[in-house]
Amino acid sequence: MAVLKGTSGYVVRKVTWSLGTVLFVLVFNFFLFRMLPGDPISLYTKGRNMPAEQLVKLRAQLNRPLPEQFLTYLRNPFASTINSTRFNRPVWDMIGERVWPTILLVGTAVLIASVLGVWLGIRAGWRRGSAFDSVTTGITNTLYAAPEFWVGMMLIIAVPFLPSGGMSNPGEGGVLDVAKHMILPVISLSVVYLAEYTSIMRASLVDELRQDYLTLARAKGLREDLVRRRHAVPNALLPTMTLIFLNFGFVIGGAITVEAVYSWPGLGLLSYDALRGPDVPLLQAVFLLFSIGVIVFTLIADLLYAVIDPRVSAA
Amino acid sequence: MKILTKAAAAVLAAGLMAIPATPVHATGRAAAPTPAPSQGTLTFTIGIQSDVDSTNPFTGIVAEAYEAYQLMYDYLMQSSAKDMTPSPALAESWQESADKKSWTYKIRSGVKWSDGQPLTAADAAYTFNRIIKGDYEQTNYGNYVVNIERAEAPDPTTLVLYVKKPTPIMEHLAIPILPEHIWKGIDAKAVKSYANEPTDGKPVVGSGPFVLVERKKQQYLRFVANKNYWGGAPHFDQLVFRVFTNADAEAEALRRGEIDYAYDLKSAVYDSLKNTPGITARASVYTGFNEVAFNTGAALADGTPIGDGHPALKDKQVRQAISMSIDRDTLVKRVLNGNGSAGDSFIPPIYKALHYVPTGDKQGYDPAKANQLLDAAGWVKGSDGIRAKDGKKLSLRLFTRDASKDSQASGEFVKGWLKDVGIDVKVKLMSEDALTEVIGQGNFDMFEWGWVVEPDPDYQLSTFTCGKRSYKDGGSIYADLSDSFYCNPAYDQLYDQQAGETDPAKRAALVQQMQKLVYDDAPYAVTYFYDDLVAYRSDRWTGFVAQPDPDGSILFQYGIYSYLTIKPVAKETTAASASESGGGGGGAPVVIGAVVGVVVVGAVGLVLARRRRTASADERE
Repeated sequence: MAVLKGTSGYVVRKVTWSLGTVLFVLVFNFFLFRMLPGDPISLYTKGRNMPAEQLVKLRAQLNRPLPEQFLTYLRNPFASTINSTRFNRPVWDMIGERVWPTILLVGTAVLIASVLGVWLGIRAGWRRGSAFDSVTTGITNTLYAAPEFWVGMMLIIAVPFLPSGGMSNPGEGGVLDVAKHMILPVISLSVVYLAEYTSIMRASLVDELRQDYLTLARAKGLREDLVRRRHAVPNALLPTMTLIFLNFGFVIGGAITVEAVYSWPGLGLLSYDALRGPDVPLLQAVFLLFSIGVIVFTLIADLLYAVIDPRVSAA
Repeated sequence: MKILTKAAAAVLAAGLMAIPATPVHATGRAAAPTPAPSQGTLTFTIGIQSDVDSTNPFTGIVAEAYEAYQLMYDYLMQSSAKDMTPSPALAESWQESADKKSWTYKIRSGVKWSDGQPLTAADAAYTFNRIIKGDYEQTNYGNYVVNIERAEAPDPTTLVLYVKKPTPIMEHLAIPILPEHIWKGIDAKAVKSYANEPTDGKPVVGSGPFVLVERKKQQYLRFVANKNYWGGAPHFDQLVFRVFTNADAEAEALRRGEIDYAYDLKSAVYDSLKNTPGITARASVYTGFNEVAFNTGAALADGTPIGDGHPALKDKQVRQAISMSIDRDTLVKRVLNGNGSAGDSFIPPIYKALHYVPTGDKQGYDPAKANQLLDAAGWVKGSDGIRAKDGKKLSLRLFTRDASKDSQASGEFVKGWLKDVGIDVKVKLMSEDALTEVIGQGNFDMFEWGWVVEPDPDYQLSTFTCGKRSYKDGGSIYADLSDSFYCNPAYDQLYDQQAGETDPAKRAALVQQMQKLVYDDAPYAVTYFYDDLVAYRSDRWTGFVAQPDPDGSILFQYGIYSYLTIKPVAKETTAASASESGGGGGGAPVVIGAVVGVVVVGAVGLVLARRRRTASADERE
């Protein structure tokens, strides 16, 4: 428990810092998006058969002074009264519908990519220069460089027995149905992320290879795979862990390209629509959510780091 | 960090993949309906590229939403399939009173709502009164009722609408008739956020040929056929609108038979589907046009000048010259891939009775004449080949839309043609919303955009009236409908006249006269009328009705003709076996999420456990 006590100051510092960042984002987002050009009324009324008097009335409702708008917003940025300009629906309802598909898709992909990537990285790094190493590095880097929409489209054409898009079939929507729809998008996303994990894991393992403690471990007579598993990998895993958690923070931001290719009803497309408007209330809410996602996972990464590497909190 | 930079790149990629812009449409893969799964349900699936933004008819705006309303509800009248003139629907007939103070509509008897309640004139009166007295209800339909004072239903088959002054709109009331017994429970405040979606497995109550039974946002809408429809039962059981955000994937889905019909195609995708066995790619005459618009002298509705438009464009000779420099046939051939026709006046020729065909001084492609006009207007070519007058160069901005490849291509062509006649053009790309803003402020010279024209021309005609120019409110300038700032008292007078003319022939003559004024004054150079591009499985479905006959659209019409007439080519090829229905329903994401969560926790736990084990191993060694 002595360790925890030494860490508590560190934890408090990190949590406070995160809360401060959330507050900053709140204020910054509010003013940033209001600097975008665009008239919310014309965005909403475009193409509608609305009489002129109605337009004037609507405008009067929205023309409240900026400080007043700001205070209302600060009082509750998650209020159900905040409506999207274009769709006239509560922004948090709209986000609520789209957030789960995104977490499901991107979360699964990041998970698969990180597990597979770390495994590949360890194998490749441990036997640097081997055939396995060059093949792995070559393939992952090629996939990393390939445009996502191209990979996605090729997969759709290559695999005719899986759905060409969407998340479920009309009238179905069971676990198997959704899983079937997930296969191609998850593959498209994972192959793109794979290279990152593989190369970072490989690089940090290679760094450890020259360390004296490995020589010592071998001198003690440990088998080669024990040297790798118990000594090299745990130390090399530290930078990769950070990357994994940071990427989980971005999960919520979605993957616009893959969502678009597979008509996946996620947040990425919603944020793109919001930006195009610009639909300021929606944009504001989406970015607030993205920011909170990143901040929370950064915090988790920081805290976890302190647990797995005590040097951090001691410093 | 990667995901964020990917997001930025995606915006670019999205452009390439033709993410649907704001608007302007398989087989019978049988899926088991939720309430009672049955074998051999015959389904017609339409691929759409913009999701229905709301199934509440007071809220939605995209073409796909209006199509859904037509399927779910009845309207008093529709446009005829033959020539788009008003024709009976829920109202069997109608008549203007002799004193021109009211219109009487005979409502079909024996019509029932999908919940079994009778549909009467009282429902129609309720709908109209709700919009007339409403606030939010005016958003989508306000313009139809501005001249209607009140609605009454003296008996179950008679609807009387009292008008403030005579108006021809009474034959074009595109308002869905809603069930009073449902909607009276949704007050003025609740209606704003009312979703009008199926809840707890209960379908949305309507009277149209289809009943909405399932809706998954950004995924699909599922309707079942109303077998008791007064216009006859549809020849299939289920209709699905499936959303695609990727046009190429939609085409692939059509080839595979995941969908039966692909709506609103871009010409590249359309071309890729041509000559595919079993698929018919159809270019139908459509109600839209595109134009190069000019800043004819931006001003507020009260005449106060605004903006920074080039003064040369206030001169109609210069505008006519530019119009004559545009080779419209080339635009149709190169920009539209031939799927359209050269433009002239602003009511498209699909409205045969209303369209004005220019006679006399035509603005066809004639660079020599354009040069003459520009010389006559005092713009003389300088040594650099660019014209100038009183030291001011004839250098114009042309704004095109980043959401439309056609717009960008048109812009480049026009730039080249105008250079040939001594006009320097700077093309600038912008988003449609940014462009709306710039136009409203009058800060432009020319831009490329288009309109879709309704069967009733009033709205389109109003865009050229003086009163629809921008207006000022609280120190800021806001756009209204006018985007050329055209203002001509003679035109306004004709506009008022047609707005009160209830004789279709007389009104058509006025409408043509108005188009002639606009054509001659050239606030717009109408570039082309584009086709509606769709593709469908003609090996599986037959019996589509074109509106107008014979080369108009076959779905997404002003009416629901094809939905009642299409039928499978041969039953055995289309009634595929019902695909297995996974249970669970909406719980699937949660279950999968839980599995993923467990795996995450497991993985982290494993890593930590290993680390601890390593530590203890170290101690031991």
